Amino acid sequence: MKRRERMEYLLSLLVSVLLAFLLGGIIMAATGHSPLDGYGALFTGAFGNQRAIGNTLYKSFQLCMTGLATAVASQGGIFNVGGEGQMYLGALASCWLGAVLSGHSPFLVIPLCLLAAIIAGALYALIPALLKIKLHISEVITTILMNSIAIYFCTYMANGPLKTSEKGVSQGTASLDKVFQFSKLIKGSNLTESVFLIAIISVLVWYLMSRTTTGYRMKLTGQNQRFAVFAGLNASTLGILGMLISGAMCGMLGMFECFGLQTRFKPDFSNEFYFDGMLVAMIMRYRPLGTILMSFFFGILKIGAITMQSKTGISSELILIVQSIIIFFMAAEEGILQNLRRRRAARMAQTVITKGGGEG
Amino acid sequence: MNWSTIFSMGTLMNTINTSTIVILAALGCLMTDQAGMMNIGIDGMMTVGAFAAVMGSWLCDSWVMGLVFALASGLLFGLFYGVFVIRFRSDEFIIGVALNIFAVALTTFILRSIPGQTGSFHPQTGRVVKLPSLHLGVLGGTNINVSIMIPIAWALVIIAWIFLYKTPEGFWLHASGEHPESLRSMGRSPEKMKYIASVICGLMCSLSGAYLSLGYLSTFTENMSASRGYVAVACVIFGRSNPPLVFLATLLFGFIDAAGQRMQGIVDPTLTATFPYIGTILMMVLLALRQAGRRRRAARA
Repeated sequence: MKRRERMEYLLSLLVSVLLAFLLGGIIMAATGHSPLDGYGALFTGAFGNQRAIGNTLYKSFQLCMTGLATAVASQGGIFNVGGEGQMYLGALASCWLGAVLSGHSPFLVIPLCLLAAIIAGALYALIPALLKIKLHISEVITTILMNSIAIYFCTYMANGPLKTSEKGVSQGTASLDKVFQFSKLIKGSNLTESVFLIAIISVLVWYLMSRTTTGYRMKLTGQNQRFAVFAGLNASTLGILGMLISGAMCGMLGMFECFGLQTRFKPDFSNEFYFDGMLVAMIMRYRPLGTILMSFFFGILKIGAITMQSKTGISSELILIVQSIIIFFMAAEEGILQNLRRRRAARMAQTVITKGGGEG
Repeated sequence: MNWSTIFSMGTLMNTINTSTIVILAALGCLMTDQAGMMNIGIDGMMTVGAFAAVMGSWLCDSWVMGLVFALASGLLFGLFYGVFVIRFRSDEFIIGVALNIFAVALTTFILRSIPGQTGSFHPQTGRVVKLPSLHLGVLGGTNINVSIMIPIAWALVIIAWIFLYKTPEGFWLHASGEHPESLRSMGRSPEKMKYIASVICGLMCSLSGAYLSLGYLSTFTENMSASRGYVAVACVIFGRSNPPLVFLATLLFGFIDAAGQRMQGIVDPTLTATFPYIGTILMMVLLALRQAGRRRRAARA
């Protein structure tokens, strides 16, 4: 039964993805572009050369990190829509500390900065988690509003109190020492050493979510809080734990972005990166392994879309449209299947009645 | 700090203008809330409404057509939400969040498909006709101009209240959320009432978007709702889905926003931009604390 359910789910996923791409193609055609050219440019954009492959890989790791961050919080029953804000605060905290500790050994500074990013992200995620568990305030609303607060606050800090005094830099904190920055694995691409850290973190989170009792307890809490409480679990601690891990992951990703690609904290370092990963996790229903695998698929799409935009003029937002359509289909999947089953049962009943139940 | 700049005619007008955006969306949201669905997707419905209004106004050179386009988009998205949440029984939070992302992506995509347009809509030919405004005279040296959408929004608050609490349809709508089975035993379909609620919600959100892009401003910018839809949801929770109470909550939000704008000379504008969001969260915390206190007192008694 379990196996059949999984097969059904994978089949629905495949159908949803294909349908969404079909709709994406229709949108391309409707706006006067050739869908074949569009998807062709997308594919070469993702794999065309070494640089493109590096960018695609990095994007996939980034999606993996944010996707798992969404998944781990959701497993504990809290929907973290606020990863963007947690990422900003983690980035600002680590870049600030990195700039202050300029000149010290990187073996001391990088772990300290990582710790700063973890603390900033986790603490910022703790606020909505406590509000949800202690006061029953919807975390979806608080986290999304806290995104705006964090982004405005970090922008203010980077343009005001923490603004660098270097000449020719319009905004951002003081630059990080060259030895602190993550170096590139493929020249000219975005693939930096941080992917090793992301890989380790992802494996740890996957292990926690699907191979430990804590992960299993979190899952029980997320699925049915009342049952979890009757089973003697401390539901509030498990929910908070999920959010703390989620916030810490977002904070770390903020640090990786700035230490790897920006040389300093810049207020525009992220382009709603968190939401891309959140959508991947939502499509995979917060399953850790599925989220990791799906990240690579969407990494290809995201990077390919940039080339598609420059080559054919089709806006890269198309991928976001395709992604949200997949979510609509997957969210409705159960309802649609039920309707189909009911209709089939009704038809079968009808044939049985008309044929007098001969072969029934 | 000069308090007179904060408590001035300008602040009052700003308060009314900003709260109008939120109350129109909140009126839609409270209808779905009464019918037992919490619609997080109103932010996206506002964005689509704002875009459709600008397109209609620009293409047909008339604000009436702007409103018609907006309402048509609202009808479509209201039905869309209804089909997924009511018929397919999808998770309303997932549909809502996905709807918001979809709306921003869709409007940005279409905007960028028009040659030469990115960031915001600035047509080379033709113009975007704004909603007309009423001139109410001069007060304290400032011209008092009020967009027609403001009295409409206030009237809608009263109409929504009468509909929900004084008509049988309003009662059925409420029952479809609270006691769907009792409603069914009366021979009324709760699903139908839920569909009505989500369509009303779509229409109200599109009005809010139209006011945002044709009244408050006169253009469409990418992601222009700026999480105001979520603020509206917070106001609905704060006002317990009762139109006049929700209206008061949106006025409070509007005041925080306006006072923040007035303080831009003293505090950095990037910081004052956080005030409405912080204010909204604080409002929700205060309400929750009061409810928790009441529960505790009730338990002790």
